[in-house]
Amino acid sequence: MNILLNDSVYEFNGNNLHDLLKQLKKDTTGIAIALDQQVVPKSLWRTTELNEQSQVCIFESIAGG
Amino acid sequence: MSALIIAGHEFQSRLFTGTGKYASAEAMVSSLVASQSELVTLSLRRMDLKHQTDNILKPLQQQGIKLLPNTSGARTAKEAVFAAELAREALETDWVKLEIHPDPRYLMPDGAETLFAAEALVKKGFVVMPYVHADPVLCKRLEEVGCPCVMPLGSPIGSNMGLASRPFLEMIIEQSRVPVIIDAGIGAPSDAALAMEIGADAVLVNTALAVAKNPAQMGEAFRWAVQAGRLAFESGLGEKRIQAKATSPLTEFLGGLA
Repeated sequence: MNILLNDSVYEFNGNNLHDLLKQLKKDTTGIAIALDQQVVPKSLWRTTELNEQSQVCIFESIAGG
Repeated sequence: MSALIIAGHEFQSRLFTGTGKYASAEAMVSSLVASQSELVTLSLRRMDLKHQTDNILKPLQQQGIKLLPNTSGARTAKEAVFAAELAREALETDWVKLEIHPDPRYLMPDGAETLFAAEALVKKGFVVMPYVHADPVLCKRLEEVGCPCVMPLGSPIGSNMGLASRPFLEMIIEQSRVPVIIDAGIGAPSDAALAMEIGADAVLVNTALAVAKNPAQMGEAFRWAVQAGRLAFESGLGEKRIQAKATSPLTEFLGGLA
């Protein structure tokens, strides 16, 4: 299915946020996820299902003052 | 030198630092280690999906330095609350440096939005450290809504102009019942020492360390400056006066020898 990931269309082959992170092969240290403008706690990543209309934003920690 | 306590957390160092603008993660770590800083700021951004970003978290965590995410990028209270909630998930901390600056030229903090956001975040259980203009009225209001400290600016972010807001900082320090951390514009160790001498509880320094030719050595310079300034403040500085006051006895013992 196609989801909107960080404002771009992304082809996703899985069910939930945990699957998405696995597909992206990204280090999950220091990241946060918002689904449809709501922050999703880490403890709910495995049980938060995605669908065609899902808008996912993934944020990462970077250097800053 | 006395310890600094914010929201029940005790700091031995009164030098807080940022992690931005360093040439490399190694330069950042060496500078922060030399500075002996115990609290460092970080930012959040939308993940770059095409490239793997250098993970700066691991070296910071290995040093045991407490992390302070900021809400940089937020232009409104609503965006700042959202950024703080993201940061709490990303870095597993309730602490947040609240900064809302809608104007990219001067990066002046928006006081009204900051107060709204601070009140909302305190209610949600955050330890809110608000970055604000050196506004004594606003700092009092932030204290009243439950901020455990205030972070007024010395001068614009990254400007290295030192304590341009000094008279107002002194009013804030005099009135405040919560720690006052002077943030932004501190360009030289002498600025940091002065901030501490006038009674600031801590300073937050980023650019001056990060852009130094030798960030590690500059970290050490700031470490000593902050300690010297605080020790001087705690020791009690003498009053300034125009007229001289002799430090040696003005006796007439040489009288009649010439």
